[in-house]
Amino acid sequence: VKMVESAQPGTILLVEDDTADASLLIRAFKKSGVANPIRHLRDGEEALAYFEGIGELADRGKNPLPILILLDLKLPRMSGLELLQWMRPRRHLRRLPVVILTSERDPTYMEAAYDLGANSYLIKSPKEEDVLGLVELIQKYWIGLNEPAPIVLESRGSSGSLHL
Amino acid sequence: LEKTEVGARITWFCSGDNAVAYLDGHAFFDNRNNYPFPALLILDIKLSRRSGFEVLSWLRSRKDGLQRIPVVMLTSSRHSVDVNRAYDLGANSYLTKPDTNEQLTKMLATFDQYWMSYNEHPSLGVS
Repeated sequence: VKMVESAQPGTILLVEDDTADASLLIRAFKKSGVANPIRHLRDGEEALAYFEGIGELADRGKNPLPILILLDLKLPRMSGLELLQWMRPRRHLRRLPVVILTSERDPTYMEAAYDLGANSYLIKSPKEEDVLGLVELIQKYWIGLNEPAPIVLESRGSSGSLHL
Repeated sequence: LEKTEVGARITWFCSGDNAVAYLDGHAFFDNRNNYPFPALLILDIKLSRRSGFEVLSWLRSRKDGLQRIPVVMLTSSRHSVDVNRAYDLGANSYLTKPDTNEQLTKMLATFDQYWMSYNEHPSLGVS
């Protein structure tokens, strides 16, 4: 996998199976003027294929590793928690900020999410004005304030890190 | 933090040992009515006696629910070694102290809104 350097702002990955929720979020990101490209994936398996760079997804110029992941919990095939569990032992995905974005308020899910290494847990709202506020805050905090770990290159054998 | 009128109660420690004593409920802090578990831990790296990294790694190794307390590093170090180490030990977020008070006030307002109003805190399952 080749790393393509670019001045483009980092990609935000949205893993969400509900079409209505996803389009609400994507619209809110557009409206709030977030420059980061939003990549929408529909379930945990699709996200896994993206991270693994399977098939056409191998082109990291077109499918860059994200700087932030917004992850729903209830997803078909592979759940958000399963994806998180798969991600964290992997060297190049271990330090990526994962924000759980869900309507699930069951404390058992919250506990599991934090135990598996979620950075934050947010409840999504179906109201457009609330979503806009939430998206702006996510952008302000995770893109504007939080210090990301340097990107770790995927490796086939040797490995290294790169500052962007 | 006081300037930004954070609604939460803040307990401040300048040594890592004291932070651990508080979280662990040692003698002086054993009354949880007076010394409740925090909703969030803000950690500097350079602390006397026990470093922020040591506190973080102690916290994350707990098995009783305490390990879930969200931890935000707030430090002046931008070194990638420190950033990586913080995330590897399980920090939820890493913030660097800005240069001016004005920037700091702004940062803390966003911090407060994000962590204290929006983020859902896990139940710790300890009493």
